[in-house]
Amino acid sequence: MSRVAFLLLIEDDEAVRTALEMSLTRQGHRVVTAATGEDGLKLLREQRPDLIVLDVMLPGIDGFEVCRRIRRTDQLPIILLTARSDDIDVVVGLESGADDYVVKPVQGRVLDARIRAVMRRGERESNDSATFGSIVIDRAAMTVTKNGADLQLTPTELRLLLELSRRPGQALSRQQLLRLVWEHDYLGDSRLVDACVQRLRAKVEDVPSSPKLIRTVRGVGYRLDAPS
Amino acid sequence: MSVAPEDPEDPGASRPGARPAQADAPREGRIRGWLRALLRLTSLRLRLVTVFALVALVAAVSVSGIAYWLNRDAVLTRAQNAALRDFRETLGEQASVLPEESSCGDYTGMAGAVARNTLDYQVVLRAEPAEGGRICTAESDPAVFAYAMVPDSLVEAVNDRRDGDGEAAYHLYWQRITVDGDPYLIGGTRVMGGGPTGYMYVSLAPERDDLNSLAWSLGIATALAVIGSVLLAQAAATMVLRPVQRLSDAAQRLGEGKLDTRLEVRGADELAELTRTFNRSVASLEQRVKDLSAREAASRRFVADMSHELRTPMTAITAMTEVLEDEVDNLDPMIAPAVQLVVSETRRLNDLVENLMEVTRFDAGTARMVLDEVDIADQVTACIDARAWLDAVELNADRGIIARLDPRRLDVILANLIGNALKHGGSPVSVTIREEAAAHGASTVLVEVADRGPGIPDEVLPHVFDRFYKASASRPRSDGSGLGLSIALENAHLHGGDISAHNAKDGGAVFTLRLPREPDLPERQPAGAESRPGGPAEGEPG
Repeated sequence: MSRVAFLLLIEDDEAVRTALEMSLTRQGHRVVTAATGEDGLKLLREQRPDLIVLDVMLPGIDGFEVCRRIRRTDQLPIILLTARSDDIDVVVGLESGADDYVVKPVQGRVLDARIRAVMRRGERESNDSATFGSIVIDRAAMTVTKNGADLQLTPTELRLLLELSRRPGQALSRQQLLRLVWEHDYLGDSRLVDACVQRLRAKVEDVPSSPKLIRTVRGVGYRLDAPS
Repeated sequence: MSVAPEDPEDPGASRPGARPAQADAPREGRIRGWLRALLRLTSLRLRLVTVFALVALVAAVSVSGIAYWLNRDAVLTRAQNAALRDFRETLGEQASVLPEESSCGDYTGMAGAVARNTLDYQVVLRAEPAEGGRICTAESDPAVFAYAMVPDSLVEAVNDRRDGDGEAAYHLYWQRITVDGDPYLIGGTRVMGGGPTGYMYVSLAPERDDLNSLAWSLGIATALAVIGSVLLAQAAATMVLRPVQRLSDAAQRLGEGKLDTRLEVRGADELAELTRTFNRSVASLEQRVKDLSAREAASRRFVADMSHELRTPMTAITAMTEVLEDEVDNLDPMIAPAVQLVVSETRRLNDLVENLMEVTRFDAGTARMVLDEVDIADQVTACIDARAWLDAVELNADRGIIARLDPRRLDVILANLIGNALKHGGSPVSVTIREEAAAHGASTVLVEVADRGPGIPDEVLPHVFDRFYKASASRPRSDGSGLGLSIALENAHLHGGDISAHNAKDGGAVFTLRLPREPDLPERQPAGAESRPGGPAEGEPG
């Protein structure tokens, strides 16, 4: 069972904001809304929501910038709401730290499913820990340390690392990872995986450009190796 | 704008095989082009040089020839006349001092006297001595000139008495002969009044030597003229061809897409005019290309803006229709059908807007691919499964046919083909997946979607992929947008594949999708850019 999620919806268009707020509330979420990025950042500090649904096209600072500013301090999940489905939008959004994205006009049920999937990523499942080189994954505390120091991972990054670490040495395809981590159907966007792997590498690898831990398996996907 | 740019192992970054061969072909072509250009230029140069040289040669040879012949004539005639005149006068003088009854000895003396001259000729005299007897022959220097050397024809002419013309009975005749390779003049005449016949013999070697040296000079002059003309032609060719070469280089740069290529205009000749024309054409071409790309950029911007403008209200409406749909059971029975209608039409409008935007993106060339390695059979199963078509579709496919493609676009194609077959042909629809070896090692994935319906009328068959084309009579207004098959085809083209339609022998329409296993899209590597709407696939299952 999942508890009631507390969402922050940042959306400038009033009709969309009202409609989505109503729809999400009916799905059983608690929702606060903001019309601009600045208001959204303020609400984030004041109310500490569990998850942010963020429109990309915002007056003032845009969604990507909001996303980057949130990521400087917080690791809470962010779902981008994008109307311009230009490739640039999606890629920039994923690079600025978003966990997932939905394209307008989104159905309330789809958005709800994405929100629940993101929320599940932070849930703990087992009570063991694993060590890969200097990285220690503590599945009980849901923490990852590198050389003893805590790593700040978003729930998505953590879930990706957990899924990979559960099958060390085994290559997982992007579509598999999309199902395991993002709970997307078979049409998942493989760029979500690529972007998340990049962010994860930046945090766990000694030299992110020549990864020793999360290896790319050409033609397949990714694999977690214990450095020998 | 890759999401995994710094990863050296990223599968997208490598496309083994085709590259080197592709790289070789243009280089080979370029070398051949250079050779051809060189040959063409060389031949033009060659032609110029040949023409110049020929003209110079003809001019020099004819001038030298005429000069030589005129000179030769003048020199020979002068030498000849001088010798003959002297001979005649001396002969006359000596004949007049000859005794009346002269003997052979007198003649010998006379021959010696005549031969004592500045012109260095030898003399032979023949006369019948007064005392009768044998004709005596007096030779000034028998070693040089003997009577035997005088040609018979000359002797005959000299002795030929000419009474017809009043002047004299005998004329002075001459002939040129060659002895041991040297030219000589032999002249002869008969002294009037029964005098002796005298012959003179003089060498023309000095004149010959003069003429030879003249010929040599003329020959050298001709050769110099030809060489000069060749050099001149080279210079002219270089002068003419350098601008041509510059134009050729500029045209090549232009072909490589450097539209800012301009040439400096030098001089005011035809080539300068050509250069000016070139510059003008390039400038207008550049302007045209600029306009076109501006228009293209505007159209791309329009697509993006339209997408945003349409989607924002659609988002609000879609979210609200869900609420309305959930509440439809609690509504007034009079109102409920209206709400139902709004909900279903909103969904159709949504699909139509998505399809229209997809089509616009294809037209604007902004459609992008997100490539991934997928198992075709899995994709087909998932597509059927997601739309609850499992009972209506017979799938003939082996797992393990892996292709590199955009899964969402494949889903759009499959959903449209299978959905169309179900709608118009009725179930069961059979889907067959095959692999087919294509040319040069690449292989193609074949997906055949066959229905059991009446098939497609022949007059409709060529139009099934047209936008908004609906076979009105046999196919009543469906809930499709009329864009589905067109979008499917565009998606197949984007992958470098194709879709064809035909009727099976036992009735029923068959749509065949062909996709290359490795799309050849170098500029779209790696899993880069894409437009990702919900997709024009015919809606969600529920």
